[in-house]
Amino acid sequence: MLGAPAAAALPLAGTALAPAAAQAQSAPASEFPKLAVSHPDAVGDPKPRLLTDLQKATLARLCALIVPPLDNRPGAVEAETPEFLDHLLRHSTAARQKLYRDGLDRLERDARAKSGKAFSQVDAAQAADLLAPLRQAWTYQEPTDPFARFLRLAKEEILAATVNSRQFAQAASAGRRGATGLNTYWHVID
Amino acid sequence: MKTDHDVLIIGSGASGGMAAWTLTRMGIKCLMLDAGPQVDFDRHRDSRAVFDLPFRGLGEPGRFPHVTQASEFDANFWLDEKQNPYSYPEKDPYYWVRIRALGGKTLRWGRASWRLSDFEFKARDHDGFGDNWPVALADLAPFYDRVEPMLRVSGRNEGLPQLPDGKLIEDRSTDSLSVQRFIASCKQLGVPTTKPRRATGTLASSVNLLLPDALATGNLTIVPNAIVREISVDPKTGLVNGAHYVDRRSKRDYHVSARIVILGASTLESTRIMLNSKSPRHPNGLANSSGVLGHYLFDQIYVKNVVTAIVPEARGGKGPRNLTGGGGYIVRFRNVGKPDPKLKFLRGYTYDFGSGFTPNARYLPLYGEPLLRELQNLQGTGFSMTTMGEVLPRFENHVRIDPNVKDAWGIPNLHITARYTDNEHAMAKDSMEMAEAMCKGAGFEVLARHSQMVPPGESIHELGTCRMGSDPKRSVLNQWNQCHDVKNLFVVDGSAFVTGGAQNPTLTILALTLRAGEFMAAEMKKQNL
Repeated sequence: MLGAPAAAALPLAGTALAPAAAQAQSAPASEFPKLAVSHPDAVGDPKPRLLTDLQKATLARLCALIVPPLDNRPGAVEAETPEFLDHLLRHSTAARQKLYRDGLDRLERDARAKSGKAFSQVDAAQAADLLAPLRQAWTYQEPTDPFARFLRLAKEEILAATVNSRQFAQAASAGRRGATGLNTYWHVID
Repeated sequence: MKTDHDVLIIGSGASGGMAAWTLTRMGIKCLMLDAGPQVDFDRHRDSRAVFDLPFRGLGEPGRFPHVTQASEFDANFWLDEKQNPYSYPEKDPYYWVRIRALGGKTLRWGRASWRLSDFEFKARDHDGFGDNWPVALADLAPFYDRVEPMLRVSGRNEGLPQLPDGKLIEDRSTDSLSVQRFIASCKQLGVPTTKPRRATGTLASSVNLLLPDALATGNLTIVPNAIVREISVDPKTGLVNGAHYVDRRSKRDYHVSARIVILGASTLESTRIMLNSKSPRHPNGLANSSGVLGHYLFDQIYVKNVVTAIVPEARGGKGPRNLTGGGGYIVRFRNVGKPDPKLKFLRGYTYDFGSGFTPNARYLPLYGEPLLRELQNLQGTGFSMTTMGEVLPRFENHVRIDPNVKDAWGIPNLHITARYTDNEHAMAKDSMEMAEAMCKGAGFEVLARHSQMVPPGESIHELGTCRMGSDPKRSVLNQWNQCHDVKNLFVVDGSAFVTGGAQNPTLTILALTLRAGEFMAAEMKKQNL
């Protein structure tokens, strides 16, 4: 039936049902079909709702600096990680939101003070100065400075959200037999 | 009365499952109530892509404040914290990690299956702290001998007094070169190692290893979704005669009668039920004339990834194919025998170690392309160790009912007080220093080390609060898991433990329950019960 006009398969209102032989052979009367469908995240462009435009631009630059595209893999920006983090933050505690917002504002402020431009416009060398806490050795105890804490958290979340993205899975699965990112999901057990 | 049973079993995990397995096969009619639903492995799970989850696998923020083990894939498997709140002192968080389903935590356990030794059963004899168990290894060994084959435990016997040999499927696998080097380094330091000792099989749970046999006898009725509110008592005799329960879904109340009640609802749930079962005969909670019920709560300290290292020659995918991979277990080596006066702590600890993973990006002080290149470079080079240590049982670590905190069925829940002391802190620190020495001796490059223990409870090895003992004034249960005060009430889960060592407790819970079940059946036959 592929390519046949869809209307042809439907009986017109008021007309008798088509003879059985004309119905699709592949659809027995007893079947509950499971159709191939897509996903909201796969078709639309995400619309972030929490951060200000300036904060969004700062976050996008931070994402590009922390996980750039490499070889054939998408970077954080290509994986729509900034938009995803806005969504994650919208569902997070007020304290977490403040940590991110204050951290992004601080990056913007420091960029303006040190290089006279927005953080979204800084080059790699200027950014390296602003992101110095990320080059400190890891300690189990979180840093006391909220800005260092923000950068440490943002690095982990940007990397995880990028590696777990649809775009990353598509690139990683290319040329392979298995799909990337699949795991056992448990439904509500009632 | 709709039904009448010989024995009511509350809980269907390791202890409840083993109680049913033992008793039904001896012709005893059992009713099993479990608070959770039955898992359907076909219907309740499927394969899903991480990018289709609402939070890309990072998890719904705030859903599980105390369950670090929960992922966005299996969040629905863990007990809902909002429906089942509990409390603790503000500065001492307790992570109570619960699963409520037929089969209990045996659906998800780590399966490590070690015997306790007389360094645990007779701990007081070794260092003077705390109390001995009313049983010794010799009492329990014949039961361990029967439980290990049921669980198909694989491992290797080493003939060490602190880690008794078992009836194992011998693990003859060859170690990778990095693990061989690590074992040689441990040997230099006088530290014994062995293969992991684990239950094998696709599932190693009460629902496939215990309950099918019990059901096949025709002597077992299983009722999921039955949350026990309180155990009922005959006011004339003070003996138990059944339980009040509530249907999880309809919230309707019911009562069921039985001659004998067995609690195997998990360490803290069993104690909670007993504390909630107050009556004129038992004003401080059921079988609590000693005042010890709820006290001596302990678990095991965990220092997760106490050391994270890399095998340097494995960088960039170089080195032979058998360089990395595999893992093992470090047997307790501190204070074996009399206490070592050079150490600042009593008792000892063990480690799990593993090789062949890619270290977490957090350990690398990099970002951007250098970070991504280094992660590629370090793929499969990681070596890490996790400390598991004994916690001293102390009276002051305890649970009580918090009348202001009730679950979604109106049942009061627990207030949990547990603090680690200098002994545990000193042990964790020693374990970090020793782990680093072992890794360096093997030529590994240490990326990070720390000695921060996870909060009490997080190991999911909570034990005690309804402990055994030979003195009814200082314990709740006798050596047969039978209440001193109420001879037809048995408590067979981890709450019965007097000490816990550093060994994972499930195997001992199973062996104790098998032993208690056979005692119970014999007493019933003699009409003592």
